[in-house]
Amino acid sequence: MSQSPATTPPAPAEAPGYNPRNYLNAESGVASWLLTRDHKRIGIMYLVLTTVAFALGGFFAMLLRLELLTPGPTVMSAMSYNRMFTLHGVIMIFLFMIPAIPGVFGNFFLPLMIGARDVAFPKLNLLSVYLYLVGAAIALYGMVHGGADTGWTFYTPYSTTTVTKVVPILLGAFVLGFSSIVTGLNFIVTIHTLRAPGVGWMKMPLFVWSIYATSIIQILATPVLGITLLLVAFEHAFGFGVFDPARGGDPILFQHLFWFYSHPAVYIMVLPAMAVISEAIQAAARKNIFGYRAVAFSSLGIAFVGFFTWGHHLFTSGQSTLDAGIFGVLSMFVGIFTAIKVFNWTATLYRGSVKFTTWFAYFCGFLFFLVFGGMTGIALATVALDVHWQDTYFVVAHFHFIMVGSVIMAWLAALHYWWPKMFGRMYSEGWGLVSSVLIILGFNATFIPQFLLGNYGMPRRYYSYPERFWPLNVASTAGASLLAFGFLIILVYLLVSLKHGRVAGPNPWGSRGYEWMTLSPPPPENFLEQPTYPRPPHDYSDLGAAEVTHAT
Amino acid sequence: MRPEAYVAHHFPNLQQQEHAARLGMWLFLATELLLFGGLFTVYSVYRFLFPETFVAASGLLDVKLGTLNTVVLITSSLTAALGHHLAQHGRGRAAALALAATLVLALGFLVVKAFEWTHDFHEGLLPGRYYSYRELTTPGAPMFFVVYFLLTGLHGLHVILGMCVLGVLMVLAWRGSYDHGYSTPIELGVMYWHLVDLIWIFLYPLLYLI
Amino acid sequence: MTTRKVKNSLEEHARVGRARAGRYWIVWAALLVLTVATYALSRLHLEHPWGLVVALFIASAKSALVVLFFMHLWDHGGANRLVFGTSVFFVVLLIGLVVLDNATRFVLANPGRGATLSREPPGPDILSPRFPPEPAAPGGFPGGERGR
Repeated sequence: MSQSPATTPPAPAEAPGYNPRNYLNAESGVASWLLTRDHKRIGIMYLVLTTVAFALGGFFAMLLRLELLTPGPTVMSAMSYNRMFTLHGVIMIFLFMIPAIPGVFGNFFLPLMIGARDVAFPKLNLLSVYLYLVGAAIALYGMVHGGADTGWTFYTPYSTTTVTKVVPILLGAFVLGFSSIVTGLNFIVTIHTLRAPGVGWMKMPLFVWSIYATSIIQILATPVLGITLLLVAFEHAFGFGVFDPARGGDPILFQHLFWFYSHPAVYIMVLPAMAVISEAIQAAARKNIFGYRAVAFSSLGIAFVGFFTWGHHLFTSGQSTLDAGIFGVLSMFVGIFTAIKVFNWTATLYRGSVKFTTWFAYFCGFLFFLVFGGMTGIALATVALDVHWQDTYFVVAHFHFIMVGSVIMAWLAALHYWWPKMFGRMYSEGWGLVSSVLIILGFNATFIPQFLLGNYGMPRRYYSYPERFWPLNVASTAGASLLAFGFLIILVYLLVSLKHGRVAGPNPWGSRGYEWMTLSPPPPENFLEQPTYPRPPHDYSDLGAAEVTHAT
Repeated sequence: MRPEAYVAHHFPNLQQQEHAARLGMWLFLATELLLFGGLFTVYSVYRFLFPETFVAASGLLDVKLGTLNTVVLITSSLTAALGHHLAQHGRGRAAALALAATLVLALGFLVVKAFEWTHDFHEGLLPGRYYSYRELTTPGAPMFFVVYFLLTGLHGLHVILGMCVLGVLMVLAWRGSYDHGYSTPIELGVMYWHLVDLIWIFLYPLLYLI
Repeated sequence: MTTRKVKNSLEEHARVGRARAGRYWIVWAALLVLTVATYALSRLHLEHPWGLVVALFIASAKSALVVLFFMHLWDHGGANRLVFGTSVFFVVLLIGLVVLDNATRFVLANPGRGATLSREPPGPDILSPRFPPEPAAPGGFPGGERGR
């Protein structure tokens, strides 16, 4: 098969190891970054912003764990503690989890994976970054002035009557929602209209399928959050009484509207993580995915069925038993799609030829935590069990298993898998493996005690607890410290690699994903010559490396 | 400028770009539908809980003005559609006139709405804790007006935004920007206007004709 | 998922165009007729729920006309239709399940004590039902009152 040098990973002798004219240095100056329309630069800006947000949210998390080191007040009062967990939640969810993987890796790699030169609306893409900044600034203003103490869920009637600065945080989240909508809109149109010849729907990389499903959720769910937050802000400011029982309002209506967004929101967070894993696992096993259609359609399944399950957050709130039953059953149903993915990923690994890299270590962590976090989710979807576990640390541990254990592991896997492509440099594999072990062990130490605590009955959002819960809380805080340490190490060696890392070349992992078919770092226009796509992505069948080269 | 000059570097041709623009606009309209969907949910819940009161409160609104507004908005949709149609055929000035007619009708809508709201303010038919109409004091009455003002307020905001967009398009059409085969911006602006009309088509029976 | 190709020649375009413009006027007339219809039917004050059903039906018909002809969904491709249809579906889902909750809740959990679909109101206190259980019929099953 004859292919021109720029379309497939060139032979080592010919290709520039480090692409000298790339998207990072093609234009210089602050204005070229602030006014860029290049999706790759926008991805890098999101990387910086979301990392800062993660650090801030993590800082609040450490303060929380510090307070919980002893029963009774340790370093702060109850009111401060309430503000801490609210800010931890708001920052982590709206400033990190929702925008991170789509904003960084979706923006950077979606056009590369479909052979496009940019996303459909590059100016809108830039707008989404500025909306993020404005929303973050408004929320930050609220934080600096004391922040809210309602929890990130803003339940009425407390959120409409509290004296704390809840309105700026609501408005900040409202603006951030627009950033999310704009990103989703851009991605959907890009996937529909900018696929290169040869990249049919059934030949798209699986990353693209999951990002597509994520974008659908962003479009459909986020506006409902927008109107709900506005309603709370109006009621707080003007006393309209929409959620106020004294004026004939229904507080549970708020919960319905809020969770109509916020449950699909967790799928906005987890689907991109699954997107990354689908790519990484094929490269890791040097084998194409087992069950391409099943994995592709299960992403859509999660996106749609995820909308039918929001009432499982209202099991103990006063919702009717009929609705509780309906939502309970539908919540069980949505787990099936994740299970399909887990089985297919595992089958992809089977008899593959695996090299144990740092990002593969994160995949292992991801899978373990997705399975256990997911199963506890199904358990929580059982109404009778939830009556015991609702608002305890069991729920906290469940969602941290998915949010941190799965999504953040996938984030780290993406970072380590695609770092050479994005920056043309390799990081230190030794330090990578060390920090992955620290993170996985630290994660276990932090959150497994929380499952036990929740089951024993320790409520969430409490700054003090009875003495019998003391040892487990200490264990959890110790684990959190390990986690923090692990993240710091990652930050250091990744930053060091930008200057001192070994040059990566176009394809250090030998991956057959479409995004590797260009130089590292990519040129500003993505490809020197438009690639052709005669084979499906991750087609390793000619290599003979794996025992079984072709999954299906 | 020839239409081909409008094609961005990352699109293969004008058709694909126009298809992308339309799809993008439909996605944005989907978000607007869901935004209003949240408010319609609030309406549905409280209408279910306070059925008789909602009937009584609805009777306090002026049905004639509501019907007039409906006719006005439907006609403005017609003129907007004609405006796009004319622009597509390169008749920029005629298109601008059609859009101007749309703007006039939209302004009429807002004037009638302002009249209604002023009347409601004077009667004490206000949302939530500001409600002070003595002849109807069951719990659902302030709630009806909360829903009424939120729905018509958010709708009115969208009318104003639509007017701004159509105003800009009207000026550009008059100046001939869309005379050479590229009229996508008008198509998108007019789609937004039709959505505004669509929402009112539901608001009218749900608020005025209970 | 691409649109049908736009016709090239201006004459063809103009011919189709004139037909299209006529279409808009017809749709406008239909919308006005439906508006009159919904107003007139509302004055009949049909009993609940038919008043609401009729109003929503006519509103849906009007929306369909606007969406299909003014917004060209009749002519343009599948992706746009999918987007519109999906968003309508989710609005219906949201409203449906939320109202179903209020309709089937324990009646005292609803604000304003509005009626629920079918639940019997509680008796003098929460624990005792309004109507005590029927006494066993005389000559009823073995072991009943007479059997004692």
